[in-house]
Amino acid sequence: MPWESVIPNVLARDAQLEASRAAGAPMDNDAFAGFYERSARSVWAYLARTSGDPALAEDLMQESYVRFLCASHPDPLVEGEVACRRYLFRIATNLLRDHWRRPRTSSIEEVPEDFFARPGNSAQSDSQMTLGPALMQMRPRDRQLLWLAHAEGYSHREIAQVTGLASASVRLLLFRARRKIAGLLRDAENGRQP
Amino acid sequence: MTLSPCTRENEVKEILQRGHWPQACPAELRTHVSACRACGDLVLVSEAFCKARAQAAGSARLGSPGVLWWRAQLRRRNAAVERIGKPLLGAQIFALCVTLALTAGFVAFEARNGIAWLGWLQELPQAGSLHLEALWPSTMFSTGLSPMVLIPAIATLALLGGVVVYLAAEKQ
Repeated sequence: MPWESVIPNVLARDAQLEASRAAGAPMDNDAFAGFYERSARSVWAYLARTSGDPALAEDLMQESYVRFLCASHPDPLVEGEVACRRYLFRIATNLLRDHWRRPRTSSIEEVPEDFFARPGNSAQSDSQMTLGPALMQMRPRDRQLLWLAHAEGYSHREIAQVTGLASASVRLLLFRARRKIAGLLRDAENGRQP
Repeated sequence: MTLSPCTRENEVKEILQRGHWPQACPAELRTHVSACRACGDLVLVSEAFCKARAQAAGSARLGSPGVLWWRAQLRRRNAAVERIGKPLLGAQIFALCVTLALTAGFVAFEARNGIAWLGWLQELPQAGSLHLEALWPSTMFSTGLSPMVLIPAIATLALLGGVVVYLAAEKQ
């Protein structure tokens, strides 16, 4: 009896793994679940805060992950998780941009109820009341730049990779956006003080 | 607006990233931040965004990664099927076009030389036997072309044409 026939499943699985690696196939189900657990919250936060719409953020986040998996090279074992996260943010940024470019067709009936009545403690409401309106006064691209720089802590070079802008442009745009939102935040704080 | 970054901005950024602001920050740097507008903006905006990120991440409603995984698998499979199906469809269309062109040519040829087999069709009920040669124009036999050779040749040509188109599309 040949020894290969004794452990056919092990060999088949190894061969399958080898083949998928050789073909540049993405991570397996378990590896993806781990990556998702570690990255999904920050992607959702980015999409929700820059779009101002949690329902849209949920949709775009799911689409981002599906596109990420369909792409041929996002393997954390090969490229590292930091690069994969950056790639994911890039997909999410492009999806947001596409959404903003599309003509608006949604009506008020399509917005879920919990969008208007979300639970939150006082500190959360406080932060939302200050940063939320200030962010919504910024241009969409500035919101993205500010979030990537100050919430995600990306460098100018990394932001350039995510957004597709030149690194020098990112520096200038970010400086202007930061100055503007800082003014808006100060105004909001002064306006709330008795 | 002029672009005037502060020389100590990176220092402040590092302190913020480490979470040392404001308690573990040197008093001298705190004094600088309160006096420098660029650094003041940096601290104000970074603190607001970090707080917002923590709150937003806490309120995220995450779906199942398994569902996303299977959706991606399904999309990849559909894309692969579409990729394979496209050249096949092209080959089928090509084969159909060749068949239609040959049929049209045959009909035109028959119309020009008189439809001899129509008479045979009328005689068929009385004849009692099938004469295949009556289906072919008389000129064909006079030039030495047998229909038994011509039909497989045309069919092979159409088949090869389809295969060539398929291979070319697949290579692209």
